Amino acid sequence: MSRPLEDILFGNPSPQALALTRVVSVIAAAVLLLLAAGIVVRFHSAGQLDARFWEFFTWPTTWAFLAKGLLGTLASAAMAAVIALAFGLVLLVGRLARLRLVRWPSIALIEFLRGTPTLLLIYVCFLVLPQVGIKLSTYWMLTLPVAFSTAAVVAEVYRAGVLAVPRGQTDAARSLGLTEAQVFFHIVFPQALRYIVPALVAQLVIVVKDTTFGYVVTYGELMQNAKVIIANYHALVPVYLVVAALYCLVNYGISRASKRIGRPMH
Amino acid sequence: MSEVSRLLADYGPAFGQALLLTWKLTVMSFVPGFLLGTVVAVLRLFPLPPLRFVLTLYVEIFRNIPSVALLIFIVFALPDLNVLIDYEPSVILTLTLVCSAFTADYLRAGINTVAGGQVEAALSLGLRPMRVITAVVLPQALRAVVQPMTSLLIALMLSTSLASQVPFPGRELTALVSKIANDSAAGMAAFAVAAAMYVVTGLLIAWAGATLEKKVRILR
Repeated sequence: MSRPLEDILFGNPSPQALALTRVVSVIAAAVLLLLAAGIVVRFHSAGQLDARFWEFFTWPTTWAFLAKGLLGTLASAAMAAVIALAFGLVLLVGRLARLRLVRWPSIALIEFLRGTPTLLLIYVCFLVLPQVGIKLSTYWMLTLPVAFSTAAVVAEVYRAGVLAVPRGQTDAARSLGLTEAQVFFHIVFPQALRYIVPALVAQLVIVVKDTTFGYVVTYGELMQNAKVIIANYHALVPVYLVVAALYCLVNYGISRASKRIGRPMH
Repeated sequence: MSEVSRLLADYGPAFGQALLLTWKLTVMSFVPGFLLGTVVAVLRLFPLPPLRFVLTLYVEIFRNIPSVALLIFIVFALPDLNVLIDYEPSVILTLTLVCSAFTADYLRAGINTVAGGQVEAALSLGLRPMRVITAVVLPQALRAVVQPMTSLLIALMLSTSLASQVPFPGRELTALVSKIANDSAAGMAAFAVAAAMYVVTGLLIAWAGATLEKKVRILR
């Protein structure tokens, strides 16, 4: 592995440059600290540091309620991810089919689900489907749209993986007398999966973000529960800050995991 | 079909305006987001540990926070800190911040594609580091990130739908659909029209991105 670019760029500084870097570093640190102090002062002068806005975070009930919301988020995200992985495979098989009658509708469905905002799909499940007599629970009103729009993206990720598998693998498997289905499910797809695991895990981050829309359908996930707490204590800033931090931590964890898995295996 | 034509007769101009607003929000958050992201990516190269630390924090926060959570914070929580931002600038600010974080991240990957030998060569020619960045590293890095930036632009265009979460004076596509679905029984037709507009916009961006990519890509 070669050196990172910035190390080459600033690798052997002259004594003056080194001194300059130190001075600028100190100035930058001072400015950033001042900025942070300014934010704290702003919080204080707006009264947002008052104990009444923060004391309920010392109560276990608050955290239990937030944890319940986080569980709701994760339950919806996990189900959406499972559906997306399975339905994405269906879309992929349709996308790769020889029969035009199967392939073109699959392409259309993928482009449609990929090209419309998840929020719009949620509104359809929430506002439009009841009009035609389909009633879903709030859990499914959130989970299904997220799952379907993710499935279309997952199908494209799968396809990239399948295309990356060397052609010789398919030819060899065919010449051994395997059927098309056997070639795909025993030879090509398992190898494709290895290429795309990092991309799939990264997709999980987007699923978790999308479940934030749960409050639109009043499903009890993290954002919705945060709104309930806010309604009780009128503490907008602290609660939203804590919730944002929770989301960041969960997603950062997933991203880190995907980077770790993404390291080459050999 | 007749439902769609009746809907377009009633709401045709509204759909046109909604589409234009969606485009406007997309452009107005992508351009500053892209520029800000480029600046962040370049500043992260400098050997200034405090700056690097803060910018890494910045990128990780805005990459991982759900855009809605950020928008709701800006619209509903910031007024408690005596920071009042109007609805439309709030949406644009949210999308700009998120876009800049992703841009900085993608550009970092693009910068990594530039061979170290080129930087060494440029330095040995007597170019200053800043000049090396602007003349050697950035142009190649930018050409390497056309594809991810196209995907980002499409994702950003779809994300403008979160403008429907704040009481906006104008309506973009998703807000218009939810209003029509609330007011009338034409929700399905409205959804079909809006979905078609989103998909076509996305395909146009993808096509433009692919054309640009073909033009500027570096064959190695």
